Amino acid sequence: MLTRRQFVKGAGVAGIGAFVPVPASAARKKRDRKALKAKPPEAPSRAWEDLYRNERAATVGDAQGYAFHCSNCQGNCAWRVYAKDGIVTREEQLAEYPQINPHIPDANPRGCNKGAINSQAMYEKDRILYPMKRKGKRGGGKWERVSWDRAIAEISEKVVDILEKHGPGGLMVYAGTGIVSQGRRAGPLRLGSLLGSVRIYPSSAVGDMFTGASIAYGIPNVGHSLDAWFETDRIILWGINPNVTRIPDAHYLWEAKYRGAKIVTISPEHSSTAIHSDLWIPIKPGTDSYLAMSMVHVILKEGLVNEAFVKEQTDLPFLVRKDSGRLLRDSDLKKFPRENVFYFWDRKKNAPVEALGTMGHAKDTLRLGEADPALTGSFEVKGKDGRPIAVTTVFDRVRAEAEKFSPEATARVTGIHPSVVVKLTRDFAAAKKAGITIGFSLHKYAWGVLACWGQALACALTGHAAETGGLDTEHQWSLGGIGPLSNPKPARFASGGLSEWISGRMWETFKTHYSDEREFAERAGIPPAEVIKIADESREKKWLAWFGEPRGRILFGDNIFRRNKSQVHYQKAVLDGTDLYVNVNFRMDSSAELADYVLPGQSHYEGWDIRGDVGYHRFANLIVPPPGLKPVGEAKSEWEICRLLAAGIEAAAKRRGVPKLVDAAFNVKKEGKDAPVVRDLDTLHDDFTMSGKLKTNQDVVKWLLSNVPAFKPWKFEEAVRHGFIVLNENAGFTSPLYTDKPYHSFEEQVHLKRPYPTLSGRQTFCVDHDIFLKLGAAVPTARLPLHPKKFPLAFVSPHTRYGIHSTWRSNKYMMRLQRSEPYVYLNPALAKRKGIEDGDRVRVFNDVGEFAAMAKIHPGTPPHALFMDHAWEPHQFKGRSGMDAPVAGLLSPLELVGGWGHLKFGAEWDGNQMAYESSVDVEKA
Amino acid sequence: MSKRQLAMVMDLNKCIGCQTCTVACKVQWTNRNGRDYMYWNNVETAPGKGYPKNWQESGGGWEGSVLKDGKIPSLANDYGMPVQLNYEQALFAGTDPWLKATNDPAWTPNWDEDEGAGEFPNSYHFYLPRICNHCTNPACLAACPRGAIYKREEDGIVLVDQSRCRGYRHCVVACPYKKVYFNPLFNRSEKCIFCYPRVEQGIPPACAKQCVGRIRHVGFLDDEAGPVHKIVVKWKAALTLRPDFGTEPNAYYVPPLSSPKFDAEGKPTAEPRIPVAFLEKLFGPRVGEVLGLLEAERSKKARGEESELMDLLIAYRQEEMFKIR
Repeated sequence: MLTRRQFVKGAGVAGIGAFVPVPASAARKKRDRKALKAKPPEAPSRAWEDLYRNERAATVGDAQGYAFHCSNCQGNCAWRVYAKDGIVTREEQLAEYPQINPHIPDANPRGCNKGAINSQAMYEKDRILYPMKRKGKRGGGKWERVSWDRAIAEISEKVVDILEKHGPGGLMVYAGTGIVSQGRRAGPLRLGSLLGSVRIYPSSAVGDMFTGASIAYGIPNVGHSLDAWFETDRIILWGINPNVTRIPDAHYLWEAKYRGAKIVTISPEHSSTAIHSDLWIPIKPGTDSYLAMSMVHVILKEGLVNEAFVKEQTDLPFLVRKDSGRLLRDSDLKKFPRENVFYFWDRKKNAPVEALGTMGHAKDTLRLGEADPALTGSFEVKGKDGRPIAVTTVFDRVRAEAEKFSPEATARVTGIHPSVVVKLTRDFAAAKKAGITIGFSLHKYAWGVLACWGQALACALTGHAAETGGLDTEHQWSLGGIGPLSNPKPARFASGGLSEWISGRMWETFKTHYSDEREFAERAGIPPAEVIKIADESREKKWLAWFGEPRGRILFGDNIFRRNKSQVHYQKAVLDGTDLYVNVNFRMDSSAELADYVLPGQSHYEGWDIRGDVGYHRFANLIVPPPGLKPVGEAKSEWEICRLLAAGIEAAAKRRGVPKLVDAAFNVKKEGKDAPVVRDLDTLHDDFTMSGKLKTNQDVVKWLLSNVPAFKPWKFEEAVRHGFIVLNENAGFTSPLYTDKPYHSFEEQVHLKRPYPTLSGRQTFCVDHDIFLKLGAAVPTARLPLHPKKFPLAFVSPHTRYGIHSTWRSNKYMMRLQRSEPYVYLNPALAKRKGIEDGDRVRVFNDVGEFAAMAKIHPGTPPHALFMDHAWEPHQFKGRSGMDAPVAGLLSPLELVGGWGHLKFGAEWDGNQMAYESSVDVEKA
Repeated sequence: MSKRQLAMVMDLNKCIGCQTCTVACKVQWTNRNGRDYMYWNNVETAPGKGYPKNWQESGGGWEGSVLKDGKIPSLANDYGMPVQLNYEQALFAGTDPWLKATNDPAWTPNWDEDEGAGEFPNSYHFYLPRICNHCTNPACLAACPRGAIYKREEDGIVLVDQSRCRGYRHCVVACPYKKVYFNPLFNRSEKCIFCYPRVEQGIPPACAKQCVGRIRHVGFLDDEAGPVHKIVVKWKAALTLRPDFGTEPNAYYVPPLSSPKFDAEGKPTAEPRIPVAFLEKLFGPRVGEVLGLLEAERSKKARGEESELMDLLIAYRQEEMFKIR
């Protein structure tokens, strides 16, 4: 018999490990099967069973709370948290959400593998336990433990330095995507807003803006709550892998399939979602705009157009000048024109007629009345100078463009057989309720904007909208009422994509990687230098907002040096230009380790919070820490940290005689006159706490519950008892949220005929901005991916099931379910060609950067691309050169525009930082 | 044979491989007390080597009325040593150049995740969650020279009596599913206990209650009102894993449908990408029949007709998936 010691010892010797043989006597002994069944084995006493009963009782503990996980996961799931002697023992999904309708599966349980190990992760050894100040150079890994008092005093002193020298724009106070809940985010937002600090748009900084939807609808985040999948007949999952990235809602898909829905997945790799779909369509990476236009081609060619819908709900009947390609405006026809008034050709009157409901029109309706807009035709209208102007329709323009993209013509680019496109399109058009759900992959390609715009067009042409389906990006609720808490004064809210481009000097890696100007120009329509010029133009003309480079950065929940592209290059560029870098974090991530000061924040179960913005479901969850929970080290809530900073900055400013800063960048009305905003450093703490009303994060949750309209009528005590609340009907943006039906965008537009928040007041498929015209993209079209040929493999990094970005990514329980280190997926044929075997260490490289990883041979990965799961921490790689090191800087020129109708910088429009357009090579290390 | 048998149905058409069950079980039972390497519940990719590595070829089970010989998997090479990371050295002390596993594991419980087989674009795989099968004819029980393994009268849960077990590991050898694990710290064998301390209080096992894909139904096989009886006995829509091992498992699987293969031109064919022969090896000869039943009932539901089977598998309310009293 093997002893325990031998078993353990043997296990420690790697590489030997054959099976350990076992004495055969017992195993070979014959047993009479029937006798065995007839005579149950003796169990003299079952008292020992208490062993496991007692273990379970210990995990249930002596105190309970509620939580969700405030990471950049839109899942937003309610959990019950168990604690014993002040220490969290485990968590379990609450699973108490009410079913909204007996014909739709309930939402229980919500919560995934990451949530289920947070009780362990919060005590892991990567946890930051007390304030620390770096000793030696940044990133040197040497720290000095300091007191909270000293840390706050020193940081505050340096903040006032920066404010004095550079003004409010010299400081960035930014809550990144690691903190997205309304409670915890409020602290950094409020402090930054009072100080006038720089903050960037998180969505676009990480390439998550659905700009194609912004163009079409004026809103990037549209679609439905995910229970609506269950009622959809034809579901197209395009560039999304819900089995991995929508874990709590994926069940609605497979339940819909049992209900009879047909589900199609379109993705380059044979994903976890593809395996359950009725059809997987393998598409070549970055060619999605071709497939979208090919669908549009089939719809038009086969007459699958819902004309009534198109005439009323879209700008497709709008008239376009044949000479300039611009929309026919009031200014073309009248000496004293109104802005943003457009025309269609009324077939009844046989004359141009003003379209109601446009941005500049006095009448706020899409109702056509007696008019019958022509979708197609060539017409002449009389210009203001009396000369005729030749015009056609947007619809005809669209048709001419779509003509180029027949399934046969696009097959070579997309790799998709024409018959597949035809069937896909016919089924989509014919289905009563059909939807296209897209994920965050598409807009990480340069032409994701076109793909998404083309998808919106396919939905519009076939009349799929509101309760009959349509485009689903990532629906969000409109909570309302939060402004006075998070934005008491104007902050410097800047573009995400453009700011990172400038901060990281990203044009440098862009130029290096896209050095073949002809190749680039053939695909983009303009040479690389032109992209840089457009980015400069965007900044100068304030198309996208930018307020200069901050010299000080106070970051909360932002793994800035993980998420940015050209990682090594970006890191140097940013740190070289930064005088003060403070990172608030619960764990030592790849960005905290480079800071000047690290402040210990709380993890998910430790502080009061509420989150209700996510439109996947209708529940706003609370964090109610288990009573008696012991703090982890000296961790404090974001609210408390910001409050301490407010007090510290106030004290330092008063001492140094800078009680107030006049901030001329913003004006407010004062006694009827414009006056610059004043940053009141001398009352900062009192202003931050709303004169003492908001002392703690619990006060903040109370404030939110009484001030956010969508949270009513829930009382604090009631909400705390349940752990979640149900949003009321006001949570919907463009439709009511009914109590017993899934939510769909745009019911107000489709049924009440209210205009869309776009220039045309309609779903918009013509943008006559100079840049769009220059790029030949005034109507939806397709462009080739930009992957330079000089390296053979497209590099694509979709989201993983083992992390929400970098959160939980390096957790040991998650690492144990993978390969214990970062790995890349290689198609077997590629691996063979490169002489690489499964488990080999490989080098992935290009002219921008490189990283090392393990090779995982994966038949579902396409042969001409290299795939890798997203967001491994750079510090998990050899030399801390992470997976984004070889990703070149890139902005999509179409996303840099502004000053055109609804394409104006703000929450609904910004330019993404691209992630999937770089090429790499791979070799055995 | 027990008076009653508690059983589980796992619907492979709904399993998304998220591993929530795996970690729910881990945090409930196996993150302590010498159990760290154990996954009483694991989810592996099929086809694949699984966990422990090559368990299907590791012997055990019955040949007629004789226990087949088998092997004890090695901790290092077949289960995989639990990954430990150098958090302190790499992140705080500045002494290690980067964060990595300190024990360079040769295998992990999910090493071949998502790999499967086939050639692009006709690759195929699915997720196979596995617990102890709480067999009707448990090989582990038969092999134990101590008589330490028993099947509970009231619910058929198979347990290793921790006060009698001496860690001889005959049960590890005999279990063809390799679902009994040796605990090196306490020198005894342990395994999935069907969460009996939860079940006794009316709470389903952690893996089932916490299954966010809603794939697991739990109930007594003889309870005609319960979901397990309806799916397994009434509809005959669920099958056991490797029935050829002869242990008569009480974990059942709804077998996986799959999308069509493509021909050389890239046109979809009528052939499913998961070969039926492969599924038959795993789930026995009735696989084709069950897949046909699922498609037929699905079509009925699509036409607006009633289908009890589809409604059961959809599971409109999570609580209806469990009937354990």
